[in-house]
Formats: sequence, C-alpha cells, structure tokens
Amino acid sequence: MFRRNGVAGERALANCAKCNLRKSNSLSRPWILLLLTLVLPGCGKGNKAGTNEIAVGVVLPITGREAKPGQFQREGIELAIQQINQNGGILVRDLDKKLPVKEVFYDDGSDQAKSAGLVERAMTSDNVVAVLGGYSTALGEAESVMPDRYQTPWITTGAAASTIFSRGYQYIFGTLSPTDLLGYTTAEFLGSLVDHGQLQKGLKLALALENTDHGVDYGKGIGKWIEEHPGYFAVAFSEKFDLGSTDFSGLLQKVKNARADIFLADAHLQDYITMHRQYMQTGMYHEMISYGARGPESDARKALGDATNYIFAGIWWSVKLPYPQVKKFAADYQASVGRPPDSWYPATAYDAMRALGTAIEQAGSLNKTAIRDHLRTVELKDSLLPGQVLRFGQNGQIHTPFVIVQNEPQDKVDIVYPLDAATGEAIAPKPR
Amino acid sequence: MKFVRNSAVFRFALLVAILVVLPLLGLGPNAVRLLFVTFVWVTVSIAWNILGGFGGQVSFGFAVFYGLGAYAAALAVNSGLHTVVALLLAAGVAMLASFVIGLPTFRLRGPYFAIATIGVSEAVRVVMTNVPMTGGASGYRILETGPFRQLDHFYISLALAVLAMAASVEVRRSKFGLALLAIREDEDAASDLGVNPFRAKLLAHALAAALTGAAGGVYAQYAAFIHPQGVFAFSIGVAILLMPIIGGVGTIWGPVIGGVVYGLIHDELVASFPQLHLLIYGSLLILIVLFEPAGLVGLFGRWFRTLASARRIRAANP
Amino acid sequence: MSATDLLNLLIAALLLAGVYAVMSVGMTIIYGVMKIVNLAHAGFLMLGAYFVYELYTRLGIDPLLGVFLAFPVFFFIGMAVHRILVRRIPTSDQPTLTSLLLLFGLWLVLQNLGYLVWGNSDRAILTPRTLEVLEVGPMGFPTVRLVVFAVALGALAGLEFVLHKTWFGRAVRALMQNSDAGRIVGINVDRTARVAFGVGIAFSGAAGGLLAMLYSFSPDFGGPFLLRAFVIIVLGGLESFAGVAVGSLILALVETFSILALPASYQPAIAFSLLVVALVALPGGVAGLWNRRPRLA
Repeated sequence: MFRRNGVAGERALANCAKCNLRKSNSLSRPWILLLLTLVLPGCGKGNKAGTNEIAVGVVLPITGREAKPGQFQREGIELAIQQINQNGGILVRDLDKKLPVKEVFYDDGSDQAKSAGLVERAMTSDNVVAVLGGYSTALGEAESVMPDRYQTPWITTGAAASTIFSRGYQYIFGTLSPTDLLGYTTAEFLGSLVDHGQLQKGLKLALALENTDHGVDYGKGIGKWIEEHPGYFAVAFSEKFDLGSTDFSGLLQKVKNARADIFLADAHLQDYITMHRQYMQTGMYHEMISYGARGPESDARKALGDATNYIFAGIWWSVKLPYPQVKKFAADYQASVGRPPDSWYPATAYDAMRALGTAIEQAGSLNKTAIRDHLRTVELKDSLLPGQVLRFGQNGQIHTPFVIVQNEPQDKVDIVYPLDAATGEAIAPKPR
Repeated sequence: MKFVRNSAVFRFALLVAILVVLPLLGLGPNAVRLLFVTFVWVTVSIAWNILGGFGGQVSFGFAVFYGLGAYAAALAVNSGLHTVVALLLAAGVAMLASFVIGLPTFRLRGPYFAIATIGVSEAVRVVMTNVPMTGGASGYRILETGPFRQLDHFYISLALAVLAMAASVEVRRSKFGLALLAIREDEDAASDLGVNPFRAKLLAHALAAALTGAAGGVYAQYAAFIHPQGVFAFSIGVAILLMPIIGGVGTIWGPVIGGVVYGLIHDELVASFPQLHLLIYGSLLILIVLFEPAGLVGLFGRWFRTLASARRIRAANP
Repeated sequence: MSATDLLNLLIAALLLAGVYAVMSVGMTIIYGVMKIVNLAHAGFLMLGAYFVYELYTRLGIDPLLGVFLAFPVFFFIGMAVHRILVRRIPTSDQPTLTSLLLLFGLWLVLQNLGYLVWGNSDRAILTPRTLEVLEVGPMGFPTVRLVVFAVALGALAGLEFVLHKTWFGRAVRALMQNSDAGRIVGINVDRTARVAFGVGIAFSGAAGGLLAMLYSFSPDFGGPFLLRAFVIIVLGGLESFAGVAVGSLILALVETFSILALPASYQPAIAFSLLVVALVALPGGVAGLWNRRPRLA
C-alpha cells in the first residue's frame, strides 16, 4: 500500500490509474460525509429522560484499570436509587408529586478524555439534574471542568485530591475526605503505636508515592504530622512511581538500599498487588507496611494470599464501623449483589446518592442551581461515614475522619484506629 | 480541467458552509461536541497523511506533537496569550520537535523508522509524566476566564480542519508533493532524479507536526485539563495512524473519511460497546493491508465504478 | 553502596537479562528469517500468559509444565497464522511496512479477544514458588527469577544447537543471510519460513507463560516487552543468537544500574531511548561494531 509493488500493490496501482477520473471521486465523497455528519450526531440522544422521572448521570469505569472499584461504586449508587424508588421516589414540591430516579450510566473505561466527554454528554443531551462519578483523581480532575460549564452539580465518589476543590468551582462536591488527611492520620496512627510502646521512637520511613496529586497529598500529610511531632520518625527515602507499571523492582531496590524500618506506599489497587508481590520477592522486612488506602481488598487477598497479612490501610469507611446504619447497609448490599462490601468503595457512593436525593427534596424543584444550593447546606445525620454526619465543606469536599484497618490472618480485617472505633488491637511490629 | 477543479472546490465550499450554519440551526451541545472532536481528528488525520500517505513514512509517534501542542497552548493561554497566538505557539513547538526527532530518525527506512517513532513517543510520554513544571502526572489545567463558549471552539476546530485540507490539496498539487510521492515509491530512485529525500521528509514532517500540534492545542483549550497519560498515550499515536489508513492512505479525502469514522462512529461505539473497538480497527487494518490498500475511499471508488459500468452496460444493451 | 549491594544489583541484572532474552527469542527468529517485525509478538506473549494461567487455575498444572506445553500449542497456532495471513503479503530482504501493519492489526485483534474472554482486570499466578526467596548469605534471590533464567539458558542453548547442528538450522541461517540465494541452493523457502514462523510464535507463547510467573498480566500485557525485544534485536545484531544474549545483557545492565542515578519513574524511558540510539547509531548492532562482515547483496 505504500510501495506500488507486490500483488496488493499492483492492484492498488491499477485502481489509482482509474482514480484520476476526478469527476467520479469528488462527486461521491463530500455528500457521503455530509450525510454522516448530519445523521450521526443525532443518534446521541437515546437517553433523554421523560418529565416523569429524575435523571441522574453516573459516569464510572467498569472496564479498564479501575474496573473493580468503579463497579463497587456503581453498585452502591444503584442500591441507594433502588431504595429511594422503593419509597415511591423523591417528592418534588413544585410538581406536587413523587418522581422516581432514573440512572443514566456511562462506562468511561478508566480513560480521562472519554470520561470528560461522557460527563459533558450526560449534562447536555441527557439532561440530567446531577452527575455522580469520577473514580480516581485523574478522571475526577478531567470531569471537574464540566459542572460549572453546564451549571450542573457533580459529586465525585472516588476522587480525593484537594487540588480539584481548590479551583473555585461552584458546582462540584465530593464525598471523599482529602488525601492529606489520610497521610496525616496514617502518621498519627504510627505515632500512637510509639506512645503505646509497640514501636520505638526515631524509626525511619521509606515512602513510595504514586505520581499523582493523590500521592503528593499523601506525602504532604505525613510530612505535616512529622513536623508537628519531632523525634518520632524520620523520612529516609521518598520517591514517586508511575501507576500502571508492571515492574517495580528498580524502586524496590532503592527502598531496600534505604534500610528503613517502615514502608509506606500510596498506590492504586493493581499497583498495590504488583508492587507487593515484587516486594515479597525481594525478601525485605519492614516493621509496618501500608499501601495508602489499599489493603483489605479481596482481589489482593486472592492474588497474594498470606503475604497481605498485617498490612494496614487508611480508608474512608469500613464495614466494621459500629453504627446501626452500617450494619443495615452491609446487609442490604449483600442481599442486592450477593457479596459483602469490598473495602470502602460502595459506601461513599451510596451516601453521595442519598445526599443528592435529600438535596433535591429540600430544593423542592428540579432546577439544577437550586439543587446545588441545597447540596451546600444538606446534612445527612445517619451517614455511613466515620462520624455519622455527612456535610459538604465550603469548597465542596467533605472532611470526615479516616479509619485505619489492618489485615489479620485468615482473611480477617480489624479497625485499629481511632481507638474508640477499634474492633481489635494493632499488631506492631509485623511478625517476621 | 479548470472547470473540474473549480466544481470540486465549489462542492467543498458548500460542505463547509453547511457545517458553519449547522450549529445555528439548533444542534444540541452534545452534537456540537461530537463535531468538534471530529474536526480535531480530521485535522490530525490529514496531517499524518501528508507524511505517511504522500511520503510513505509511517510514524507511530504523532502523539508527541499532539501532546506538545496541547501543553504549549495550555501554558500560553494560562500566561494570558490570545487563543490564536496560543495555537501558533503550539504549532511552532510541535514543528521544532519534528526537527529534533526527524534529524536522527529519517536516516532510517521503512519499519525501522516506524519502530523508532514508537520509542520516541513513549520516551517523551515518560519524561512529560515526570516534569514538574507542567504538573507531571497530575496533569495541567487551563484556568478558564469568562463563560464557556462552545461555538467558539467549534469554529476554531472547523477552521483548522479546513486549513489542513487546503494544505493537503496544495501539497498534493505541488512539485513538493510529487517529490514526496516519488520518495514513497522508491527513495533511492527519487534521489537519483534530483530530489533531496532527507530535506523533503523533514519538511513534510514539519508541516504535519505543525497541524497536529495546533489540533492538540485546540483540544486542550476545550478540555481545559490535560495529562500526559492522556495526550501522549500510545493509543493516540495509533489512532492518528489508523484513521488515514482506514479511510484511504495517500488520497485527499481518505483521511477525512477516516477522521469522520473515528470521531463520530467511535464515540457512539464506545458508549454502547466499550471494548469492541480494537477488534474492529484491527480487523479493518488486516483486511485493508491484505485486500484494499486504498481503504474506504478505494472501496467506495470500486463500488461507484461498478455501478457506473453496470449502467453503461445496461445503456448499451437495452 | 556496599560491595554486597553492588553484587546484588549485578546478579539482579543478570537474572533480568535472562527474562529479556527468553522474551525476545521468538521475535528474533521471525525477524531474522523473514525480515518481518512481528508486532503481534506482544499479543502472543499475552496469550501464552493466559494459557499457562488457565492450565494452572482450571487443571492445577504447574506453570512450568504449562510453559512446556505452550510450546507445541503455539507452534501450530504460529503455522496457522502464517498460512492464513502472513503468506499473502510480499516479503523481501528488507522489512516491509505491509508486514508491520498486518501484524499490528493482528495484535489489536488479539488484545480485544483477550478482553472479551478474560475481561480487563489483572490476573496473576500464585504458587508457593512465587513468593519464595533463595537466601545466599546476605543476598536473596527470588526463586522464580532463577527458574526463568535457567529456562532462558536452556532455550538459547537448544536454539544454538538446532541452528548449527541440524539441516533445518542451516537452512534458517542461510535464509537469514539471503533468501534468494537460499532458494537457488535448493531450500524450500516457503516451508522453512512457515516452520520458522511457527517456532517463533512457539517461543513467544512459552515466554509469555514464563513472564506470567513473574508479573501480573492483562490483555494489553506485552507492549513494554515488545519494545524491549526490539531493542535487544537491534543491539545484539543478527549474526547469531548469541546476539540476543548480548543485547539482553546490555539492556538489563543499563536498566538496573540506571536506578542509581535516575528516579525510578524515568526507568521506562531508558529502554525507549536506547532503542532510538541503537537504531540510529548502531545499525549492525553491537556485534556489527567489531564484526564488519561484507554482506551479500
């Protein structure tokens, strides 16, 4: 095709000789194109909601790298919608009736550009009153451009980087507490172990941070605590790595060379699994190990078996929290999808949908700006999240405390911090 | 001859006029977005075709220019420069990069050049993921001042696509274009005949890079957030290559059809069947390589010629 | 850096070279004999990985055994691919773009088939051997890497034997130098090419299985390995399969020791940069530098 030789080439050459009849060529092409450009954009209108329902857009990855967490979050949202609709829907005062919620779902395949485009599509041709979505920071960043453009509220259930919320956008909200608080709480937890005599003072930390805002925030949070509490820990090594690598041996070699006592990484689920497998293969030992917000996921347990024991994680929610609404949620979720909630993923999504439903009800209409105004003041007093109260902060992000969980042998998980919510004692240092 | 050329120009102008008027006739914002994306794809498709279709140099690495253009335009806009100036800057940066890349790699022939471009593309992506000035892996955001005017972006992208088309036609008609075609057929023979292949390839590369960089800049201004795993992705380089090949490599309208197919159909396809697109493009590529190197254009051409000859036969044998 | 650390790094590099060698052999054979850049190599690496994974999870077959079983299975798959697709395109003594694009298309198709059958999530093979570490004094080496290294040595040795001691091997070497001359001398070029293609894909599939013991994999597994394989081919030159060993060693050493100077996140760029440098500056590979043999036209 590039050289006019060989069998295929000869055919092409013969064709092209005839190609020089410009009439037959330029006649057909522009009209075909015109037809396509007129017909195809019109096809994008499949999901328009009728006036007898409230359309809510949901844009999450259920394929691609972030497929598993995205799927869990979708399940959380759908459970909430199902429960709302079982009650007849949301009462819209202005229309004097209860309307059911209709989910308009798009899979963004863990792709940032696609994600932004799908949110835009939902907000325009599907005419949703709000969009839930944005699992993981990069997708959240890309999507966060759209809400203010189309004046449609957007709640991220999976992006925690504070940078998203520092840009002055007026239509964005998030049910994930900021990542720097995660780092801070992690260091605080380790500090409490020192205070209880389980760890010595002055231990060295090795940090491996994912090369995103999430990782940067995590590192900052840890650094802040260390600065406020001199003498407890020292950072011996800190480096960033790219998400999605297959081989972390270079990074782990450097961690080995640093000869630290505690290994703290901040990674996504796949990278956690890959990195920890290679960590085990280096034969290293650290007194405490954490992968940020990852630890108890069942995929990791399956892939690594006993190697995941004693890993601790700082997460936004745990099924072990001693609140009655958590027990009920766990039971409802199990009944609806046939397995227990995996780590924290479904909970933040579930509560986001509930907060949205409440805000719509309080607004009394389907006006998007009114809904936004009421999201700013909404308060969910039976929230699943730690602290039991969901309230969006000034910049749209909530600020609930984190819980630290630790993996125990035989697939058990315990909350080990804060102590008033603990279901078991922390095991530190890790047994060899 | 002149009459035929003018009538083709007239038809093209009519198409453009219709596209200009279309959004004002009440096309929704989602349709405008789809067309915007299509124009961007058409631009890069035409650009790639200048080097790859006319010149026969298959590069997998056009994502570099797309991404550099996106970042250059984003940085420019954030520094307060006007949109068009930002796009010119984007084109300029991409052009510069094309020289840096082309000087060592154009000494290579055929697949060696193609593989080298893969290496360059991925290396640039890794570096950009780590450079702090542009935000590294966290991405870079354009601070939007003022309300979002979707139609502005629509018309800029349309204008760029028209510009690309004009450039493509002009190259094809010129002596430079002839030199490129000669290089494609047989680089040594062309050089024996007095063409300077190295210089011609560099020039074509520069023009293609400039258009691609500008397209990246147009995209960046719309999306307002770009990150290296997005704009420098290998899959973008692959897409830029697939479009003209599927449409009809080396032709004028082939890249346009390829861009339209990719922009409009891909969007719908991906929303409904998220994971089938590789299968479709891969199979199309295989079929095109084996049976119809002139892509969809060749297919249409054959179809119309069959119809025309059937008509002639029927007319001759009533 | 202590001497132990340095030694540790050196041995890690050596083991990595073994992994790289085993992964490039398949592509080298096909490139050497038919001058085809087999981009679908990445797809077959992926299929090999899933093949071994399925044998292990469904039938409990040890992954190492699975790798040996992959060899004949992928041999026939390779011959089939050659008969259906590769045979139809013109080949020459220089690589063609047509073959490049054809096999690229095949790679896309294989990737998608992978998605459809196995979905997008990462899989991994977990055996008691996976997390085992062999302790030698203060140093520790992952058992799986030692196993892969041993297999790599065995494969390369076997290949050298076939190439130099069998008629088929001589035919392959002849074709690597000049296929037209080979035809004149009486070699059945088409049949030799088909068998060579089969052997190449067989190695790809088996290598994929070996890689599955080391890394987790998903349908777009193979991309980074593909480029590294090409670096190795270019670096090592094509004079013999010892070139693969040389190329693998160079790449592994550069990658392993570069982490001392560069942040870990820049590491992928090394292979890619080396590729460009190698293509531009060392067209005959490292071997070509001290081995300037006149080539037959």
